Amino acid sequence: MSDIFPKWTNQLPRQIIIGALLAGTAVTAGVTYYFTPKYTAVGYEPIQPVPFPHSVHVKQLGLDCRYCHNAVEKSWYSNIPAASVCLNCHNQVLKDDPRLAVVRDSAASGRPVEWVQIHKMPDYVYFNHSVHVNRGVSCVECHGQINDMQEVYRAKPLSMSYCLDCHRQPATRLRPLDKITDLDWKPTDDARELAAKQLETGTKIIHDWNVQSLQNCSTCHR
Amino acid sequence: MKTIPPICAEPETGPKYWRSLDHLAETPEFRQWVEREFPSGASECTDPVSRRNFVKIMSASFLLAGLGTTGCRRPVEHIYPFAKMPDNYVHGVPQFFATAMTTRRKAVPLVVKSNEGRPTKIEGNPDLTGSNGGTDHLAQASILRLYDPDRAMRCTRDGAGANKQAALDYLSGLSATLGDGSGLAFLLEQNDSPSRARLQQAIAAKFPAARWHVFEPIDLDLGRAAASLAYSSPVEPFYKLDQAQVTVCLDCDFIGSEENAYANIRDFAKGRELQSKDDSLSRLYAVESLFTLTGLNADHRLRVPPSMVMAVLARLAVNLLSSSDIDSKLNELAAPAQAHEPWITACVKDLKANAGKSLVLAGYRLPLAAHLLVIAINEALGAIGHTVEFHPTAAAPPAVNRVFYSGPKAGYHPTAASNEGTVAELAAALNAGQVKTLVILGGNPVYNAPVDLNWPQAQAKAGTVVRLGYYQDETSWSEAAHPGSQWDLPMAHYLESWGDARTADGTVVPIQPLIEPLFGGITELEVLALIGGLTPSSPYEIVRETFRALGGDSENNWRKFLHDGFLAASAASAVTVQHDPAELKRAIGELKAAPAPSKEALDVVFYRDSKMDDGRNNNNGWLQELPDPITKLTWDNAVLISAATARELGVFTDRNVQNQKFFNFQVEVTLNGRTISGPVWIQPGMADHTVGLALGYGREKTGRVGTGAGFDAYKLRSSENMYYASGASVKDTGNNSYELATTQSHWSMEGRPVVRETSLEQYRKNPKFAQTMKPEDPPVTAPLYPNPFDAAKTHGMHQWGMSIDLNRCVGCSACMIACQSENNIPIVGKEMVGKSREMHWIRLDRYYASPAGTTDEKRMEDPQAVVQPMLCQHCESAPCESVCPVNATSHDDEGLNVMTYNRCVGTRYCSNNCPYKVRRFNFFDYNRHPLDHKHLYRSPLVSAHEGEWELLRWLQNPDKGDLPEGEWQLAKLIKNPDVTVRMRGVMEKCTFCLQRIEQAKIAAKVKARDSDHIRLSEKEGTVPKTACQQACPAGAIVFGDTSDPESSVSKAKEQERTYKVLEFLLTKPRLTYLARVRNPYPEMPDYKEHSLPYTTDEFNNGAFNEGVGAEEPAEKGAP
Repeated sequence: MSDIFPKWTNQLPRQIIIGALLAGTAVTAGVTYYFTPKYTAVGYEPIQPVPFPHSVHVKQLGLDCRYCHNAVEKSWYSNIPAASVCLNCHNQVLKDDPRLAVVRDSAASGRPVEWVQIHKMPDYVYFNHSVHVNRGVSCVECHGQINDMQEVYRAKPLSMSYCLDCHRQPATRLRPLDKITDLDWKPTDDARELAAKQLETGTKIIHDWNVQSLQNCSTCHR
Repeated sequence: MKTIPPICAEPETGPKYWRSLDHLAETPEFRQWVEREFPSGASECTDPVSRRNFVKIMSASFLLAGLGTTGCRRPVEHIYPFAKMPDNYVHGVPQFFATAMTTRRKAVPLVVKSNEGRPTKIEGNPDLTGSNGGTDHLAQASILRLYDPDRAMRCTRDGAGANKQAALDYLSGLSATLGDGSGLAFLLEQNDSPSRARLQQAIAAKFPAARWHVFEPIDLDLGRAAASLAYSSPVEPFYKLDQAQVTVCLDCDFIGSEENAYANIRDFAKGRELQSKDDSLSRLYAVESLFTLTGLNADHRLRVPPSMVMAVLARLAVNLLSSSDIDSKLNELAAPAQAHEPWITACVKDLKANAGKSLVLAGYRLPLAAHLLVIAINEALGAIGHTVEFHPTAAAPPAVNRVFYSGPKAGYHPTAASNEGTVAELAAALNAGQVKTLVILGGNPVYNAPVDLNWPQAQAKAGTVVRLGYYQDETSWSEAAHPGSQWDLPMAHYLESWGDARTADGTVVPIQPLIEPLFGGITELEVLALIGGLTPSSPYEIVRETFRALGGDSENNWRKFLHDGFLAASAASAVTVQHDPAELKRAIGELKAAPAPSKEALDVVFYRDSKMDDGRNNNNGWLQELPDPITKLTWDNAVLISAATARELGVFTDRNVQNQKFFNFQVEVTLNGRTISGPVWIQPGMADHTVGLALGYGREKTGRVGTGAGFDAYKLRSSENMYYASGASVKDTGNNSYELATTQSHWSMEGRPVVRETSLEQYRKNPKFAQTMKPEDPPVTAPLYPNPFDAAKTHGMHQWGMSIDLNRCVGCSACMIACQSENNIPIVGKEMVGKSREMHWIRLDRYYASPAGTTDEKRMEDPQAVVQPMLCQHCESAPCESVCPVNATSHDDEGLNVMTYNRCVGTRYCSNNCPYKVRRFNFFDYNRHPLDHKHLYRSPLVSAHEGEWELLRWLQNPDKGDLPEGEWQLAKLIKNPDVTVRMRGVMEKCTFCLQRIEQAKIAAKVKARDSDHIRLSEKEGTVPKTACQQACPAGAIVFGDTSDPESSVSKAKEQERTYKVLEFLLTKPRLTYLARVRNPYPEMPDYKEHSLPYTTDEFNNGAFNEGVGAEEPAEKGAP
């Protein structure tokens, strides 16, 4: 009568354990990376109905962010401009450009332009634009170098840990109020002193403006 | 699942607070029920979907979830900006508009919040003279009516849908065919709108033969008719309760069910304010047959059947009026009150001692003679000009409620009669075929006209009926009883309408729309103008035109009127009037002395339900689910009956407990040959041989919310017995399977001094009584587990806290609805309330208390009752936090116990560990499903629904649930965007309106910019109010920053009456209560019983044996 289990099966439990461990590690590593906003969200660059180049408007023409996003200092929400705002200039400039046909249609018909949302918070997060831009947090911290973008993409993960990085150490990000919309601003041009200089600026702002490091759940979740 | 309550020294003597009959009866079922953490069904899965089935379904769901992860990027969403930027609008910043809600003749001035063009929250307008910004629960709940998916949405002609333009064309074509108006009749609701009065006059001038009739099934305006008669000029009484030191209410629930209750509560609460022991306190006497909120708040309450109320009033009059005014008839009426002579004598003595500062009030149920008598008494007491004044008014219609019981039917019209007829006269005209065109504006006469008028048949005799109504209801066209032709027009909500109104003191207030009519609703003014062929016919132009006469032609005045929400200095001023007793004698002469009720011939009281009103709020889910302030019943009315009478009739029950549910006897009530049936509810403190029937339930044709709620008491109500009736009989039907959903017996406090009270006399001797009333000493001096957030709390910028003054709180429930509206709290339906799954974040606990040493039977006869708002106490050392396995509930720096919904996994440990039982769990997705068994319990995997497989629908739109698309769109509109809408499986509770706090802080920071002035301060008005605080008409709730010694909450907490509930648990609540002080009159026959209010009594009798005045709590039998 032959053995039911050949000799090689003695190795099987060890192989299974090792295999399971390896598989588990792989799955964990995979989830840790691939399921995070860093992977799933950063770089999200949908095709918009209008090929609006921020780089041209901000970098070349020097438009301030608040010309179009005028509610950013008053509301929790930074608005997308109405088609009529675009036409303030574009009824003179490039007035017959086919790329602007959608905008002209919208202004004429009253139907909104269907922009695709890129930066989205979950419904249980109450992020308020006005309190950030009025207290020394620049657009660039969350939206990246929009002024350099031909087409807008998501530059930052905007995950909870991303928010907390700043909320825990506000000194690393704060800047004077007149530099909020200056997305290229740096406290110093010297790359070696940059971090120290930023910390110095931020610390002074924290002291002068009584900026708090808010880490309560209630700060964002209601 | 069992918790053993710590042994609490049960006082040997002294009162016992009890929550329900079962509590009193101490039945084994009740013990078991109390000792369970959650009632049965609230914590187990005993539902049709069995546990095994559930596991199967869940594993399948996980498989699907696995398939789904490949596409775990968020779905593409769009942003839709404006095409053209509107002026003065910033997306995301709410706007506020002043408007008003009409009640009956009067209006509540409001400020309404609008988010992105949709009204979301109603507040009182604080800018009017005397206003504190408080409202009532009906105004708070009225916003839900706007988004009611069951409201009338289209014009119909004879039941078939019709074009709105066709309807408007019909109306405007009508005026040409009316001639001089003969054959035209209007049936209106009461309203004091200047514009309506102007249109009525214009129409009357054009159609002099048109008939005008006004009908309110529950008429709260009798005082005006009486005053107009007593003073032979059109005047109406205006009560100044804040000036009254002594108030005697005769079946007058001015706190709960009279007109302008919110203003009454506000003024009454002023008299109950106590800052220190030297302050004076007003006193309230109530003579009543039901147990009402006014009785609950009274210092002395005389429980008498309705027939006796009139006798007590007559006896008061005999003692107070000058002898020339007293005739033999009055003496005859007063005779039955002989038994209460000592009570009445003392009451009279107190009234006389406070002449000029005293006030006598008669309720709407009492007949005209009683109101005339009360005017005479107030004259004799010198109250006129002090506690009551008379304002000029439009001529009052004839008084309908002239008889107490079946007596002389009609026949005499008061001299001050206007040209407005009654509904009975209209019915007669209809039956005589005199009405060709009947215009019914508002109201629902088919449902609630007196039953002897046979209104449905009468209405069918009109040639054409034009009906403006908010719902497709009983009065709308129906196949069975259709008239020649009927137009049904959808009425616009007041938040969709232009209009005007007057407040209690006569101030003119605008009604302005915040939103275009959602379903093409039409206003009353529009219909009147069209029928009258008047121009302009747009409601805006009508109101604007009226305002020219009131406030001048200037555009600025008009804009200011709309901006402020009132016309300054338009309040009526008091007029001097000359009292004429002739009418009184005449009316008294008409009255018949009522027979005393007996077991065979019971008295019936028809009363205005605190929520449904006369039935108009029947389809309002917030109000249906709001517990009645006294009975704590939801979704139903009941046959209220006293315990002794129930025993006599053989329908007494300790609640038939089956499967942990309460079942009640179903009885038949027969009156004058008409019979209705309903479940019995034993009401402690009710007069014996009296049956209380709430109106407004048992609708035959209403929306989905109101269908099936309660029974219709109008079916017993005839013209002669509008409010009281005698000779009713009650018969047990043998059926006891009707389940009532009540919140009454939930969360028993086990006899601990949760509500603390004393008498004024004792309070003056020992102002710190409340702090020494501890049931036991803490076993340790510090909490067992140090709170890890203790350190964090020290560096918060503010420290939030709240103080609730139980002396001012009257139990009106406005806070509950305000909270529901502000915090997106869903309703859960009757079945779920029956399982204790209601979601209210703030509740009003009502405890009964009875004198020490009385038998169980006696205790239920004449108890005292107290109310206490109970909400999250925001314990500094919160028991819920230490047991949360996922840190979903935690403390923030400013002392708030916060709840992070997205972390919550639904273990419910926190609720288990909460000693106050204020946490609420979402057992289902109440927001996304119709609230019935079929829909709530359905799994997406098991069944198809309306042709669409649930899973497929769920994958397409996981947000929506299985609400029909249109309903889902409507349901979303009412939500407050600043508060998360919670889903199934999430725990929730009061947050102290965290969203308002955060918004205030953000606003301060945005304003501060690069300065450091970011602290909120009450002095600067930057501290927000919580929703409950803002809605509270009594000003009982104070919220603020306790780290600011100047804040009103700090000052309130410094008061000597401050105490904490269950402080021996060392939870250190941030919410403190100010103990209640009763003010019994020493000359009263029952003063001996009342002199030591039960709680003080309790401590002097053992639990607190050092007696009154001790600084330290004494040693006692601690566990």
